[in-house]
Amino acid sequence: MRLPKFQLLQPKSVEEAADLLTKHEKSTRIMAGGTDILPRMKYGLESPEFVVGLSNLPVRKPRDSDGTLVLDALMTLSDVAQNEIIQKNALVLAEAAHAVGSYQIRNMGTLGGNLCQETRCSYYNQSHGYQFVEPCFKRNGDQCYFIPKGKKCWAILMSDIAPALFSLGASVEVVSNGRLDRTPIDRIYTKDPLHPIDLSKRQLLVAITVPRKSGLCGSAFAKFTVRGGLEFAAINIAVVLQVKEDGLTCSNARISVGAIAAAPIRLEKVESMLAGQKLSRDLFNDAGLMAADEITPIPHHGFSMSYLKVCLRSIARDALALAYSRIACH
Amino acid sequence: MKTIIELNINDEVFEMVIEPRTTLLEVLREHLAFTGTKEACGTGECGACTVLIEGKPKLACLTLAAECANTRITTIEGLVHDGQLTPVQQAFLEKGAVQCGFCTPAMVLTATALLEENPNPTEYDIKKALEGNLCRCTGYNKIMEAIREAAKSGESARNRK
Repeated sequence: MRLPKFQLLQPKSVEEAADLLTKHEKSTRIMAGGTDILPRMKYGLESPEFVVGLSNLPVRKPRDSDGTLVLDALMTLSDVAQNEIIQKNALVLAEAAHAVGSYQIRNMGTLGGNLCQETRCSYYNQSHGYQFVEPCFKRNGDQCYFIPKGKKCWAILMSDIAPALFSLGASVEVVSNGRLDRTPIDRIYTKDPLHPIDLSKRQLLVAITVPRKSGLCGSAFAKFTVRGGLEFAAINIAVVLQVKEDGLTCSNARISVGAIAAAPIRLEKVESMLAGQKLSRDLFNDAGLMAADEITPIPHHGFSMSYLKVCLRSIARDALALAYSRIACH
Repeated sequence: MKTIIELNINDEVFEMVIEPRTTLLEVLREHLAFTGTKEACGTGECGACTVLIEGKPKLACLTLAAECANTRITTIEGLVHDGQLTPVQQAFLEKGAVQCGFCTPAMVLTATALLEENPNPTEYDIKKALEGNLCRCTGYNKIMEAIREAAKSGESARNRK
């Protein structure tokens, strides 16, 4: 399968990259690892005139900045999964990175790239050249094949990293017009399948920041798939649990579910239910049942809504139990 | 627009004429006849195009040749030294882990990289490392046996003495 023709720009610094994005705003795409954009270009879904390849940019090691962990957006997912600082302070993020794709994809794909991935749908992510098919909304057409009489797009954000960062309360650092802005991760997602991330063509995501958690804290990531590997999630979940000094009473819970909407969803009702409670396996069971009732997973890639709810019941219960078992006092 | 680039493949430097759209897979197979690296899906879902770049398994179908300057690329052709197979290759032969052979170059490279990074992998480690390499023939059992055997040999998976 061949790529279409394009011009490749290879800046050596963030400043140079930002300049190029501003200069060529109209028909430009950014490429980090290439594992998201190149398949779409091969399928004929995208044909930018310019591709700004970021592989020559320096990648900074994880660093602590006033108690906040700053991670370069160009870290490969392998490096995120294996980094000891991340494993120690944000295990849910290391686990999420380890769950992505395959060994090869983790060696190529980046932290920032995974966050900025395009939303997906089985009707969209395929080649469209072999038969005459009216384009769907995501291909700038006026219909949907997933919901035949639908008026909107139902493509899903399949990212494993995004829910982990939601639960960590992370932020992203974006360069635009020479300025560096930090935005909480939940505000960078639009929930619009056609334009899932609130970044203009001129902006460049450069870092992800994760605040330190004080006190006793445990986290876990779980991803439900059919094959167990080399798969996008049917549904995934990221849990960060904080408990009081007694090691038993929940002081704060952050639970985010992904791969069932155009952005991760926080389980706010379940979080409120858990706060102040003495944690136990029974409580996690209840939390799982509550989670399945709280949200409406959008069916996708052959998974029905009821199936996804059943999956959610078990992965929520198990991720909570695992996060709790990891709290340092045990 | 065509440009000239130097690529280091199996410790040999090749001067190649490429376009931005040229993938590393195209250069290997079409320009240099390193046909051990295979194209199956072309979109990152099968692993047949796996090569090692700086020792790390990556997908040549999704790698632009233009981004490979100053990197060391190893293809399956680069594993054999003086006609001697590596422990991983020997194990694949002995355990019957090869049927049609299409997935094999990529499997061998990925397994080699795994054992260099983790000489004592658990079952889970092996499966996780090989999850991106699909095989339609063997059902994976013999491949797993071969990798376990190669791990037991204790030698560096890449080299024979």
